[in-house]
Amino acid sequence: MSLLLELLLYLATGTLYWWWTQHLTFFGLAPNFIFAAALAAAILSGPVKGIAWGFFLGLYADMLGVSVFGGWALTYTLMAYAVNVVKKHFDMDSLFSQLVAAVSLSWLSMLFYQGLSLAFARINPTGLKLFLAEPFLNALAVPVVFQVFYWLKRRTGVL
Amino acid sequence: MSREKDAANYALVFFAVLSVLLLLFPASKLAHTGRIALSYSLYPSLHYGAKYEHFIRNVPANFVALLETDQENRALKARVKELEISLQNSSVMVAENERLSREMRIARTLPWAGSWARVVNKTPSDWYGSFFIDRGSDDGIQVNDTVLGMQGERAGLAGRVFEVYPKFSKVLLLTNAAASAVCAIEPAGLEALVEGKGTWLLKMNYVPEEAALAEGAELVTAPGGLLFPAGVPVGKVAKLYPRESFMNFITADVTPAVNVNTLKEVFVVRRHLPRDLTTLKGASE
Repeated sequence: MSLLLELLLYLATGTLYWWWTQHLTFFGLAPNFIFAAALAAAILSGPVKGIAWGFFLGLYADMLGVSVFGGWALTYTLMAYAVNVVKKHFDMDSLFSQLVAAVSLSWLSMLFYQGLSLAFARINPTGLKLFLAEPFLNALAVPVVFQVFYWLKRRTGVL
Repeated sequence: MSREKDAANYALVFFAVLSVLLLLFPASKLAHTGRIALSYSLYPSLHYGAKYEHFIRNVPANFVALLETDQENRALKARVKELEISLQNSSVMVAENERLSREMRIARTLPWAGSWARVVNKTPSDWYGSFFIDRGSDDGIQVNDTVLGMQGERAGLAGRVFEVYPKFSKVLLLTNAAASAVCAIEPAGLEALVEGKGTWLLKMNYVPEEAALAEGAELVTAPGGLLFPAGVPVGKVAKLYPRESFMNFITADVTPAVNVNTLKEVFVVRRHLPRDLTTLKGASE
């Protein structure tokens, strides 16, 4: 049952991101809900599940994208592991921590994915506008997604 | 705690290795096609302006054709929208053009192929003889092309092109004493010769005495005429003269269908006459 709910949450996250990018982009920009979900899941879940969520959300992002396949999966897997380590030392439930984590990890993940993309496919996937603006949009999205995931975790036991 | 840490490490290694394998091993044609189809269906905007050929490598040709057809379809839809807007703008401009033409009493749509030209010079000493228009051989004007003028809503015969220069041409008016045209008297179609007199009136000759001709009869260019297209209004019979005792014909004064004094613009009808005819500068009917 829990697995089914997690699958539904996974698909709902992907659908929300797809719908948002199709209808609510602002100057071609939208918060990366896949990233926000991966971060929120890493904060809320245990280490294995958090890493698995990171991997599968990354895989979804890879399916949507046109660059190297597996790049986002690796990026979000490593990010989930890093969050799992960091949350033992910092209170990642607080808003401030989430904002700092959202901005810094957005940039780090973009740079890492950029490196992977250049190394494996010689494609430059990230535009400057995206690089400068998206981390702040993600910072707005992460606390919201975190609260939704937290509420679902308490009510249904997912994550 | 240690078990949890170990599990996290194992999970990291497992998923990281899986990711790297996905990165390292090129996807099969089927998987790659599925991925492109999914990303294209969910996220088509990603493909706009991207290096399209790069992303659709290792994909069956018919699938590429499908994607390209979709791209082409989107481009064509955008083009159709542009053209619809352009058409709307054009129809507004055409309406405005027609309104201005009506106001200025110039260019109309005529059933002949040709082009409009403005009257640029009239010579006082040859007022009813000729004038110049601002179209020449650069615009495809040829000697003996028919020149029409507008009188209200109707076109009428004004003359023909007599001399052609690159940028302008000289028109020999029908009212010129050297000009003539074979005409048909409506409605019977009886043919007669209309000649210029160097004044505002024309003269009609060679009308058989027994012809039932009345003042006000309309004259149009005859089908048998060589220089002018058939059916162009030439004028109306203004006054009939009785037969002279020494002649077998009657004559008449004809009011031209076009008043050369009010002409600002003329329509030059492309005749595409035989070359040996167009070289005869002084050709007359």
